Amino acid sequence: MPAYILQRLGMMLLTLWAIVTLTFFLMHAVPGGPFVSERMLAPEIEAALNAKYGLDQPIWVQYLAYLRGIITFDLGPSFKYPGISVNTMIADGLPVTLQTGLLAVICVIALGIPLGIIAALNRNRWPDTTVMLLATIGVAIPSYVIATVTLYIFALRLGWVPTFGLDDWRGYILPVFALSGFWVSFVARLTRSSLLETFEQDYMTTARAKGLRPGQVLFKHGLRNSLVPVVTVLGPVVANLITGSFVIEQIFALPGIGRQFVLSITNRDYTAIMGITIFYAAALMVMILIVDLLYAVLDPRIKLTSATA
Amino acid sequence: MTIPQMNPVLSVRDLATSFFSQRGEVQAVRGVSFDVFPGEVLGIVGESGSGKSITAMSILRLLKASGRIKSGSVHFDGQDLTALDEADLRDIRGNRIGMIFQDPMTSLNPTLTVGEQVIETILRHRKATRAEARARAVELFELVRIPSAAERLKSYPHEFSGGMRQRVMIAIALACDPKLLIADEPTTALDVTIQRQILGLLKDLQSRLGMAIILITHDLGVIAEVTDRIVVMYGGLVMETGPVRDLFARPMHPYTRGLLASVPDLRDETHRRLTPIPGSPPDMAHPPTGCPFTPRCPHAMRQCQAALPPIFGTGHGARCWLHHPDAPSSFTSSSGGEVSAQRRVRGPSS
Repeated sequence: MPAYILQRLGMMLLTLWAIVTLTFFLMHAVPGGPFVSERMLAPEIEAALNAKYGLDQPIWVQYLAYLRGIITFDLGPSFKYPGISVNTMIADGLPVTLQTGLLAVICVIALGIPLGIIAALNRNRWPDTTVMLLATIGVAIPSYVIATVTLYIFALRLGWVPTFGLDDWRGYILPVFALSGFWVSFVARLTRSSLLETFEQDYMTTARAKGLRPGQVLFKHGLRNSLVPVVTVLGPVVANLITGSFVIEQIFALPGIGRQFVLSITNRDYTAIMGITIFYAAALMVMILIVDLLYAVLDPRIKLTSATA
Repeated sequence: MTIPQMNPVLSVRDLATSFFSQRGEVQAVRGVSFDVFPGEVLGIVGESGSGKSITAMSILRLLKASGRIKSGSVHFDGQDLTALDEADLRDIRGNRIGMIFQDPMTSLNPTLTVGEQVIETILRHRKATRAEARARAVELFELVRIPSAAERLKSYPHEFSGGMRQRVMIAIALACDPKLLIADEPTTALDVTIQRQILGLLKDLQSRLGMAIILITHDLGVIAEVTDRIVVMYGGLVMETGPVRDLFARPMHPYTRGLLASVPDLRDETHRRLTPIPGSPPDMAHPPTGCPFTPRCPHAMRQCQAALPPIFGTGHGARCWLHHPDAPSSFTSSSGGEVSAQRRVRGPSS
């Protein structure tokens, strides 16, 4: 097991390197640069800026310099906000994104899975049709529509929650709802279909033939086997939610990293794009590793062995 | 072999089970009656779709959601299992009636150790500590001859071979000393040599523990060695029933004769050809009004299509118009030599 994790971490570094390289060269292949704007800068100033940030160097020199920075966990200075490093940008935005993101993750797990179980247990009866109707709506309606409509009703019309910011616990309700709505629906549907499939398995009949109580049959024999596909999607979902959503952060005026990411692209803020991309990729890979480790916990048939073992 | 003169452990009467879907009703079992006596092995034989497995599942009400027992009764220990509420029935399942299934590869939960799957059954029905239940599980593994029983409790099903898994299933079914064991095609998914071992084990356990067994199979070869009495099913009905030797020596129903003719006999040195029964089983969504075997029966008469025959004969009886007192006598009169009649169906020797 430790050997397996070590090997996976090694693979992750390699993947990160590939992502860094690809993003770096793609970004530089796009025309324009951080200091190009409607108001023309004097050529001397532009040249000076380029020199300061090393943009006058050949591209491979820039690339090597960037790699050197990453190895020391230095993501470089922001090109757009003088005096602010990308590390600071991420550190500033992350707590906000992480708070709303983790609350959304909790909602996805605490609501999505139980709703799926309720639906599966009441197949084709009203609790099932209700949950599935809501889940279909949740999957179909984009999050920005949920965000704006709920914002209009609950904040503007009814005044129950603030229209922006997270100063008050009530401020979290709408962003978390908008963030998790899709995934709660998705996980509910997935849990339902996975459980229904498990119910058809022979070992479920065996469990009933032993005289086990319905709760034992469901939780001990059914749920664990049904959770494998759910855990599979939860990994990327968690990575997605904790790295932020531009749209939701924009609508609710939350200063998170999702918002910074998209702004950095329109700004051609090279180092910020790179930094946030690397951060997202790393978060995703860590979550996928956790998912793979969870598989082995859920299903003993899955053995985690390193390729050389 | 005489039928034991005592009260049956299990008494199934006019059991009818159907499956309901949007396309309509499928009448899987259409009025089945039989008794199981203490300490006997009753074989239920039939092709797939004959209703034999559904009969077994109906006894413990383990049918899938779309299945329903329409009528009839299943008496066990003075209680009608079809009328019992779910909680009381759960106290019987795995406790006084054990059950094993066809495919030991899929009947065990892959995510739990085999030990846990035995122990949870014991803890469900017995007042025992975990340690006591564990000790009992070791005992059961030894009983079903799983080598190094104590260590094997910690293994997962995928670490066992098919035969060993079926032994685990048997251990689970026997965990609480059941009075009745229902074995639904217990050897079908296994290799021939393993089949023999498992059947031998079942027979041995049956005589040591004194329980009754219902052995469901499509394989007459399996049933001949271990059963006392046989029920032959076809089209959701009992076609013939009788003591095993009688039934093999003098099969009364053309379907039973067909079944016997399609079993290879290794001792037969004349290299007769196996004779399959032509045609296919009836569509149970639209069961025929008469005898369901009519379209495949070499002796079919007009009467067979018109009305469903009752079972003629007691002890050894068959649901066939040929045994009606007024029936043409050709079939019945030759019934004394049915084994040779069956053997007459020979191909050219090769």
